[in-house]
Amino acid sequence: MNDTRDNPTLLLLHAAVDGELDAIGTMEVEAKLAADRELASEYDRLVALRDAIRARIPREVASDSLRARVISMARADGTPRPGASRRLTQIISPYRSLAASLMVGVVLGAGAYGVFVPAPAGDDVQQAIVAGFVRGRLSDQPVDIVTSDRHTVKPWFAGKISGPTTVVDLAADGFPLVGGRIDVVGKTPVPTLVYRRREHQIALSELPAPPRNVASEPTHQSRDGFSLMRWADNSHSYEVVSDLPPAELSTFCAAFRRAATAELEDNAKP
Amino acid sequence: MIKQFNGTANMPAMWPAPAAAKQNFRAISGGGNVTSELARRRFTEMVLPHLDDAYGLARWLTGNRSDAEDVVQDACMRALASLEATTVQQPRAWLMTVVRNTAFTWLAKNRPRTVLLTDDAQLLEAAAANEPAASPDPEEALITAADQAALASAIDALPHLFREVVVMRDLNGLTYREIAAAIGAPVGTVMSRLARARGLLIDRLGRDK
Repeated sequence: MNDTRDNPTLLLLHAAVDGELDAIGTMEVEAKLAADRELASEYDRLVALRDAIRARIPREVASDSLRARVISMARADGTPRPGASRRLTQIISPYRSLAASLMVGVVLGAGAYGVFVPAPAGDDVQQAIVAGFVRGRLSDQPVDIVTSDRHTVKPWFAGKISGPTTVVDLAADGFPLVGGRIDVVGKTPVPTLVYRRREHQIALSELPAPPRNVASEPTHQSRDGFSLMRWADNSHSYEVVSDLPPAELSTFCAAFRRAATAELEDNAKP
Repeated sequence: MIKQFNGTANMPAMWPAPAAAKQNFRAISGGGNVTSELARRRFTEMVLPHLDDAYGLARWLTGNRSDAEDVVQDACMRALASLEATTVQQPRAWLMTVVRNTAFTWLAKNRPRTVLLTDDAQLLEAAAANEPAASPDPEEALITAADQAALASAIDALPHLFREVVVMRDLNGLTYREIAAAIGAPVGTVMSRLARARGLLIDRLGRDK
């Protein structure tokens, strides 16, 4: 009975597993599952399959050399015409690995970060974050709660924002905590931590990640003369803005991520 | 109906592409040999963020890394060229379209025997007919216990048109609508291919010990 796999109820089951149903559809499926044992075991198999694929098939990642070649296409010079691509590929193929390694060098040398411009939607977020940072600098009052103690900031956020906020102590890394404030991005209040390095400030905002967010490594860019970095884990994205030089900001981000991971692991312990 | 992309990369599920689309590529790239600043900026914003997804799809469709890299590079050149003339509403789905079309061209040329690229319902039915009867029902435990190699070879064994929807949905995390846009087919087609693909996977994994 091959046809069973095309019947509307089974398609509905797949849609349920994929999170593509609205509340009404979900209710309908739940009712059918409760009434039909065979359907329920098919549902279990689909979930098992989905989970097995997600857990065990590693995500494919473009190699550095491929990435470098593609990035070089977006540069003003040396962009081969599409019509010529095949011929050109043939001509350069004996030298491909050499060319690729050269490009990696060029791209890294030029600052690979600079080429990654975020999707337009991210621009509004960054605009809000940078605006918050500038306002804090100008008003000499960058935070709503002044404290170097992370155990004070965390409960303060907890009273104002739903969900836990990552607050870590980076004094040992040379970035003492100044305090916290709430920024508003669009209509969403987001927790922002302010750290200090010499006379510079670093503002770190933690945003809820969009659905189906993919974890990403920190990328750097500059805007209005400030350095920005962003990265994401499975549940949140992080936006950092500072008047620090990019290299020091990278150090900060690395320290923050390390400490955040450590804190997460600590919390996971009974 | 699903809202389609505009622009040259909006090709139907079947390949080879209609002559009109090909001519369109020519017309664009013939205009001058320097890509405009605008196209390059669009490329940076719309293509680069989805490079891993593009590579992943190409990797699963071609079956190996070096061919996948060639396909992705070629696809990116096509994408860059078409961004001269058009803007794109769903960049990720659109890039998947360009990659799959490039991959299918590559497969048709280099692996003509492995690829079944017709939308003809009867042929797809025939492909699906290898599917063993649904009962006895495979054990959920066997699926849960399947290791990476078993899962990968089961996915590799799927016909390309089934494999691509599984990769886009379960590995790249596209929504049904995005997949529909990427393959230029209605959501209903996405759903039935996905259901058939998973049926084949479940049967295979439930059978293998």
